[in-house]
Amino acid sequence: MKILAHSYVCPKGTFLNGKLVYDTAEEENPLKSAYQQLGVEYPKFYKMDVLSKMAFIGTEILLPFFPKDADLENDLQLIFANSSASLNTDNLFVESYEQLKTPSPSLFVYTLPNIVTGELCIRHKWYGENCFFVEETFNPLHFSEWSQIALNKGNNSCLCAWVEAKTNGEQECFLFLLTNSEDGGNSIERELSTLIKQYRNE
Amino acid sequence: MDKPIYIQTLSLVTPLGNSVDQHLDAFKNGVSGIKLVEKAGFQDTTIPLAIKSELTSDRYNTLLREALKKAQANLSTSGRTAVIVSSTKGNIDLLPGDTFAGTQPIIHEFFPKTEIFIISNACISGVIAINTAADYLLAGNYDQVIVIGIDAVSEFVSYGFQSLFALSNETCKPFDKSRNGTVLGEGCGIVLVSTQKPDGFAVLYKGGSSSNDANHISGPSRTGEGLVRSIEKTFKRSQVSVRDIDFISAHGTATIFNDEMESIAFGRTNLDRVPLNSMKGYFGHTLGAAGILETIMSIVSMEKSILFPNLGFKETGTSIPLNIIQRLESKELHTLLKTASGFGGGNASLILQKQP
Amino acid sequence: MSDLKENLKAQIIEQLNLEDLTPADIQDDAPLFGDQGLGLDSIDALEFIVLLDSNYGIKIADPSEGKEIFHSVNTLADYISKHQ
Repeated sequence: MKILAHSYVCPKGTFLNGKLVYDTAEEENPLKSAYQQLGVEYPKFYKMDVLSKMAFIGTEILLPFFPKDADLENDLQLIFANSSASLNTDNLFVESYEQLKTPSPSLFVYTLPNIVTGELCIRHKWYGENCFFVEETFNPLHFSEWSQIALNKGNNSCLCAWVEAKTNGEQECFLFLLTNSEDGGNSIERELSTLIKQYRNE
Repeated sequence: MDKPIYIQTLSLVTPLGNSVDQHLDAFKNGVSGIKLVEKAGFQDTTIPLAIKSELTSDRYNTLLREALKKAQANLSTSGRTAVIVSSTKGNIDLLPGDTFAGTQPIIHEFFPKTEIFIISNACISGVIAINTAADYLLAGNYDQVIVIGIDAVSEFVSYGFQSLFALSNETCKPFDKSRNGTVLGEGCGIVLVSTQKPDGFAVLYKGGSSSNDANHISGPSRTGEGLVRSIEKTFKRSQVSVRDIDFISAHGTATIFNDEMESIAFGRTNLDRVPLNSMKGYFGHTLGAAGILETIMSIVSMEKSILFPNLGFKETGTSIPLNIIQRLESKELHTLLKTASGFGGGNASLILQKQP
Repeated sequence: MSDLKENLKAQIIEQLNLEDLTPADIQDDAPLFGDQGLGLDSIDALEFIVLLDSNYGIKIADPSEGKEIFHSVNTLADYISKHQ
């Protein structure tokens, strides 16, 4: 197993393979700015929740690194995780019926964490397998286990993400693309934990 | 499959009862857990729900503890054990705090120090959880996985479904011509997925898969494309063919578009003549628990050689007519297909077989 | 009429949680639904029904009627001025 590419989206900027590509540190609305710098026309972006917006941007910039000869439509598995599920939108939905007195259908449809993977599948016409886990913290060992299992089942590659939007405003989306390889093997776990530390400046 | 994978029921707690026997009685007698509940809807409207009326508060934790207590008593095997939880919302009473935070400590009261995974993938979570458990066993990480499906009724989810105009105003009538929406329910079901043959009745897990419609985040696909792809992948992985299938436990939420989509998908996969039911007429839609509860009652079907009727069905109401089970029927069942579809465009399926 | 349209744009942004947009981003005659324009769908149509009811006291009984009414800011404004 090896990492083909990785990206990181957070309020201060969007990074691709460790390099800053869109600086949004000074922006009032960082995700809108990153989307505009990306230069892609996809009006549905504006309707998305924060999780989907981050994953959308982070995935668009990874596209050139997807395996060219693979049947991505069927054989790409999406494995996503975070710790707070859709908590941010959950609270907005509660606000819609408690304070604004009308439960908002367009908020309710985002009160599930796996809507993120649904949005990406719609955007890129991916019909393959999806799974969303809720975990206390980013766990590189689990991601490595899940991906290895997915690849052993016959999937060609895995798009994985730790995508988090906490109610205190902390937001991050760490995406990485994995595929089978002869070399590398057991180092994925270590690589992932180093990468996320670098992105988080820990 | 390199080694046999067994599935056994450990516990089942729903408005229909707290034991498998109580559920068998209810299903045999066509008893539904659904009733009209006053002031449960937005602005105190009356809506139908399948709720455990003896629970007045702390619904999620009480359901979970009740089911875990029974599972602990019924577990006959040991070994390297993990737990996988399938839930769409966790304990919604904890809002505005983290709704999934309280689940692990409760499980550890009953199964200390076990590794716990939580899957939250909308209405297909239960089927995915069983598939993931089998994957982990095949990879050799564990000897057995306890799979828990749970969701509790809440105003949050009721108001949400009301806002989408997705709720029925009376009862839940999957695949019926007059169906007009789903009914929400609650419950907790626990199964053991194991590489060791457990004591008592257990069936073999043959394979499973998931897929995405790549079409819409909340509306079902018009063509059934995602469900077709999952069913086809599951057949391939299980090395089972269409003519082997004796029974389908479908998703059947009783919304107009979902049931129509499923009928198209079963037609496209040549499964439209196979006896089929949706159990939403008994349980309501229990979201993250649905896949587990329905798998459990499908295992009961195999054990007792009974086809349970699709409660609420009278007249064909899908463009592709299906072979909906209308009467309680004795039939030897060897191989069955379980499917699920849900928000986020997800579909999942798995195949179970009776031990030879 | 132009005041009505400006108000409508602000209300659409609020009702549909499109906080990344400003009224200036929405053209009067651009389609609101489908992949052009704002990319709205049937769920958002439900929000429009709420918006018309709560802000203008207009009730739309048949959601299928909505398709033409919700086409653009222009058609919405037209409908409101005729039915208020």
